[in-house]
Amino acid sequence: MSALLRHLRIWLASIRYSLVRAMMFRGDFLMWALVELFWMSVNVLLVGVIYDHTDSIAGWSKYEMLLLVGTTLLVQRLLMAFFWSNLFELGRNVRSGTFDFFLAQPGWPLFMVSTRKFDLDGLVNVPVALAIVVYSAHRLHLDPSAAQIAVYAGLVLCGLVLHYATLLAIISMVFWLQSAKGIEGGYFGLTEFSRLPREALRGIARVVFVYALPVVVVSNVPARLLIYGFEPGLLVWMLGVTVFWLAVAIAVFNAGLRRYASASS
Amino acid sequence: MSVVAKYRQVFLTGIQTSLVYRWNFAIRATFSLLHLVYIFILWGAAYAGQSEIGGFPLAATLTYFVVLLILQFFLSAANDDYEISEEIRNGLINQFLTKPINYFAYRLSLYFSARLVTGVLSLVPFLCILPFIGPKLALPAGEHLALYAVAAPALLLSAFIQFTIAYCFGMLTFWFLEIQSFIILSLAVEAVLGGQIFPLDLMPPWLYQLSSWLPYYYQMYFPTALLTGRITDLSVALQGLAIQAGWAVALFALARLLWTRGLRRHTAVGG
Repeated sequence: MSALLRHLRIWLASIRYSLVRAMMFRGDFLMWALVELFWMSVNVLLVGVIYDHTDSIAGWSKYEMLLLVGTTLLVQRLLMAFFWSNLFELGRNVRSGTFDFFLAQPGWPLFMVSTRKFDLDGLVNVPVALAIVVYSAHRLHLDPSAAQIAVYAGLVLCGLVLHYATLLAIISMVFWLQSAKGIEGGYFGLTEFSRLPREALRGIARVVFVYALPVVVVSNVPARLLIYGFEPGLLVWMLGVTVFWLAVAIAVFNAGLRRYASASS
Repeated sequence: MSVVAKYRQVFLTGIQTSLVYRWNFAIRATFSLLHLVYIFILWGAAYAGQSEIGGFPLAATLTYFVVLLILQFFLSAANDDYEISEEIRNGLINQFLTKPINYFAYRLSLYFSARLVTGVLSLVPFLCILPFIGPKLALPAGEHLALYAVAAPALLLSAFIQFTIAYCFGMLTFWFLEIQSFIILSLAVEAVLGGQIFPLDLMPPWLYQLSSWLPYYYQMYFPTALLTGRITDLSVALQGLAIQAGWAVALFALARLLWTRGLRRHTAVGG
């Protein structure tokens, strides 16, 4: 328990340090917030353009689709705020040997690697993603109960863990490759599928992206909860894949860690 | 050493450097296939129940995205802005100031070598999946040959514009310590106005017209549209080529201006 508290205190200290740093470079912070906002708008724009030419995608109406996209953006903003920079830099640090410093720190290496930085610019766009979800729900005349909203929040948290696990497993490939340059693209490639309704995937694509990988379930389950109400089977499924994929990602990281031989001269 | 021999040597060295990261490029190209699967699923679902969207059948839209993705590997100045920025920040450009080497030409040679390697490597996974996706694609018929002739210079100008925009962003390092956010913001604008998210002709006509006057249109959409039959009118193609050439000249002038102005601010230190 004391170890857990100690790690929590380290995380809070890192967040405090990152906030101070963000306020020192306010121009940079505003620019990054704008960048993220613009990328979110690109996703919303795509929905707008496609639905200008069609009424439905795999049975999902425009605002159902927007709710799905909003949920994905919400999870991604949280990932950007808490974990993206840390894992992105893991790739660079392993190559340069700077990773040694994390191993020398008084804490679990994965925890120290994952929590060193906190990006406020990612967090300030969380309300924008939430606004997209709320607006879509309003246009769909949804009236979710308090329990539905609470479970939705829990599912978004599971989604955050799943995105983290996906990114960690991909970036950990740097332990085997010469460089991490470009491999983070795998994360973006996979998470694109979370903006698709499950019904759009058929055949082998459904087997791979719905059942084998958690990339569709991560957004579809929370969005469906708001649209169709409780579906217990889906909730159990979501919880199960979250635990499973987090364990897989940690195992990949640990395997890489055993391979790491430093790069210092 | 002649001018050509000098930059040919840079080009050859660039190829060797790029080949060191061949596995990363191969992995990136393989990951991009995921994007293609996403595109096929999304647009396949959008077309369900209708034969055309924006006047184009599903096969034409899928072909547009496949060609665009391949061209991205051959043309996109993916890392040049960061590398130029690093060279300015770390003082590595100092060596070019005292030697008879033009920095723009040096970086352009490296850009061509890197694009050649990434482009060719990206073809490997695409050729592997061609038997599966081939039947879903449709290239324009034979009468489109004149437009292919326009596409050839358009591709070269597109490469030049891609590189020059990246070069200009790199030059910003003379004024700003951190330029990454500018680059990512520009990438987002480029993704939309360059037609990477959706074919630009699906936008409202007034917005499409407006976008055709911007340089982003000529980075990727214009050559792709010529190759995939989304632009079929030769006069429109020739007008586009003229505007594209105009942007290439304007951006080159801007790049020169940023370099000369930036150097005035630059301080070379060290022994």
